[in-house]
Formats: sequence, C-alpha cells, structure tokens
Amino acid sequence: TVEPLEYYRRFLKENCRPDGRELGEFRTTTINIGSISTADGSALVKLGNTTVICGIKAEFATPPTDTPDKGYVVPNVDLPPLCSSRFRSGPPGEEAQVASQFIADVIENSQMIQKEDLCISPGKLAWVLYCDLICLDYDGNILDACTFALLAALKNVQLPEVSINEETALAEVNLKKKSYLNIRTHPVATSFAVFD
Amino acid sequence: MPGDHRRIRGPEESQPPQLYAADEDEEPAARDPTRLRPVYARAGLLSQAKGSAYLEAGGTKVLCAVSGPRQAESSERGSGPAGTGGEAPAALRGRLLCDFRRAPFSGRRRRAPPGGGEERELALALQEALEPAVRLGRYPRAQLEVSALLLEDGGSALAAALTAAALALADAGVEMYDLVVGCGLSRAPGPAPTWLLDPTRQEEERAAAGLTVALMPVLNQVAGLLGSGEGGPTESWAEAVRLGLEGCQRLYPVLQQCLVRAARRRGAAAPP
Repeated sequence: TVEPLEYYRRFLKENCRPDGRELGEFRTTTINIGSISTADGSALVKLGNTTVICGIKAEFATPPTDTPDKGYVVPNVDLPPLCSSRFRSGPPGEEAQVASQFIADVIENSQMIQKEDLCISPGKLAWVLYCDLICLDYDGNILDACTFALLAALKNVQLPEVSINEETALAEVNLKKKSYLNIRTHPVATSFAVFD
Repeated sequence: MPGDHRRIRGPEESQPPQLYAADEDEEPAARDPTRLRPVYARAGLLSQAKGSAYLEAGGTKVLCAVSGPRQAESSERGSGPAGTGGEAPAALRGRLLCDFRRAPFSGRRRRAPPGGGEERELALALQEALEPAVRLGRYPRAQLEVSALLLEDGGSALAAALTAAALALADAGVEMYDLVVGCGLSRAPGPAPTWLLDPTRQEEERAAAGLTVALMPVLNQVAGLLGSGEGGPTESWAEAVRLGLEGCQRLYPVLQQCLVRAARRRGAAAPP
C-alpha cells in the first residue's frame, strides 16, 4: 500500500480492520498439544498466521543455594530467521530477549507453577523445566501466542516419579510412572495497539 | 550458561532423568531393511517466508523456509567465462546460504541453543547437496537463504531436512534443474553388514555406521553423500548407496503430489 495509514483509517471508520475483524476480535486460534514425543510437554499455537511452538524438557539440577527448596523454570524465546526475514541467525536479538524476559516475568508474577513443587530433595535435587519457545511464523502478536503456548505445554508436561535412595543417596527414576504438573493459575495475555 | 547475558539464567548444569532410570530402552524390533516410513509433506505453510515446507517421516519432523533472493553481502567477485543459457559468469553466480538448527527439545537430551559444530557440518552438507539442483547462475550477485529447523529427531534427520529444503526452494519458485530427495541409512554393529533404510532414532543410536544420500530423481544424479562409521568392506558401502538411491526414487511421487497440491492451493487463494 502506498499510504498505509490512510488505508487503515478507511477501515477503522467502519469500525473494522483490513482482514475483516472487529476491533476487539482475535484471529482464529488453533492449538495442538503433545505432538513432540521427545519433549516432556509440548504445544503448538496458531493465532491467525502467527505460529509458536513450545517444548519443555525437564532435567535434574542442584537447587540454588539461597533457596534450597525451589526448582527452576527457564524460559527461552527464539525468533529464528525462518519465521520472518527481519531476523538474522546468531545470538538472540533484542526482540527475542524482551520476549524471554516477558515470559519469565509472567511465570514469576502469576505463580502459575510453584517452584517449591519442583523440589525433590531440599538442597540436593530439584527439577529444572527448560521451556523453549520457537516462533515458526511471525505475523504479529508474538507475546500472546508465547504465553498461550507456554501454558498449554506446561499443562501437558508429565514428570516421572523420583525417589532418593537412602543408602546410595542417588536418585531413582521410574519412567513408567508419570504425573502432571500442578498448574495453579492460568495467565492469558491480550495485546492492544493504539492507533492515532 | 554463566557468561550469556542474553538468555534467562538457569542452573550451571543439569542432568537428564534418563541417566538415573532403572530400565533400558528395548531393542528395536527386526524389520524389513528396505522399508520406508510413511511420509507427510506439505509445502507453502508459512506466511512470512517466500517458500516453505514441512516434512514428517515417522517421528522426524522438519520445517524448512526459504527467503530471498537478496543482494549478496560480500562483493569480491571477478569475471569469468559466461555460462550457457544466458547465465551469469561463474564468479557472479548466486549463493545458497543454508542454516540447520535443532530445536532444544528435539532429541533425548536438551541441547542448549548455540548449536555448535555438528549443526554447521550439517548446514554445509545441505548446501553441498542443494547447489547442484539450483540454477544459481540465474541469480547473479544474489543470495538465497535456506533455514531448516528440526522439531523432533526420529532418525534420518539430515535426509528429511534435505528433502524439506528442496521442497521449500521449489515452493519459493526458485529455478531448479530437479528436486533433491534425501534418504538415510544405518548399519547395526555386528559381523553381518545389513544396511537399514530410513533408520529410527533407536536404530541410529545403536548404529556402527550411518549414511545419508541425496539424489536428483529425474536426472538420476547423486547430489550429496555424507557417511561415517565402520561400514565394513567397500562393497558394503556401495550396497548401501544403491539401497539409498532406490529409497529416494520411491519417495519422489509423494513429493510431486505435495508440490502439485501446494500450487493448486496457491492458485485458488490468489485473487482472480
């Protein structure tokens, strides 16, 4: 479009947008859960064309020394060059870093998962949930899609049962017995833009 | 990792729970060495890329996107003899930049995002296999960027990435001589060298040798070959290549179907 602002104003006068949506309407949202079998939990979310996939891998780690009864939740948002031509390959750019920090803040502030639930043995062993979000198609509103994908993937995560053997002090994992995470709150993100 | 300020900090190190699990994986069941897993291929699914393709074979899921042609970054080109058919001189030909990445959740163990040497080696293998098929002389001083993302590794990842990349290039409308089809093989350890076509992840993990062949089916020319391990005598490797090439030929009709469907979809969606 030669005059993008004028183009938009023409639609906004009729209280709708170029793709036919109302001002307060979301794009068609689809979600596909648990398709990645190598991940402990996964979800693929599409908001219109914007596609984000979240895969969660759970590993063992020593809890942090200042909070020995907590585990870790480590989110990471990746905006690879395949999602849009504006991104180059290499270390995470500014937008990816901002998105990762946003997701980390959402997890922390909403308390959707209590880090104490991730502790297996205080001071010795805890779960660390690596939440990797990869954007596959960047068509705007990435933060909403990431939050949604993260929530869906966390609800899909199944952790095996772990017990600490008293004699050897080593963990014993039973991969056959798995249980879901306790998700306490369900944060939903909505983004707005102010035009003119 | 400690020095990386760009990512959210996690623990210094972590171990996968599988290390502490009591039971082992079962041995992969005996199967017909020439069976190919059913393949699902779809082209033209990403809105922001010029061309894209998604390939799923058994547990392996690969997504590939192509962007460009774009002005090439470096400009140290001389002149050389002109190619046939109005193509640019050899030194001014276009370039293909390939990028291969594994999603952190794609394998048994989580891989932290900066991939390292293996991804670069596979990206180079992708580039070497795709170059013979693309008419780079028609894109002088330009570069085409191919990025492959492996979402789940269920075995034969490089072969799937090759096929997806060729489909994505075709979907982008890049001029090509032929498609490139990839096929993976692996050989289990032991005295009798039987090569298995299209190995699963378990078969690949236990393999003594692995091989990926890339074929241009219509021209019947081998575009790429990457193998390593203890394969036994030379005849065994030759046998493996032959098996791989047959596998590629069998895969070709599925890819043709996929491209035809994508073109129809594109035609239907375009405004009249």
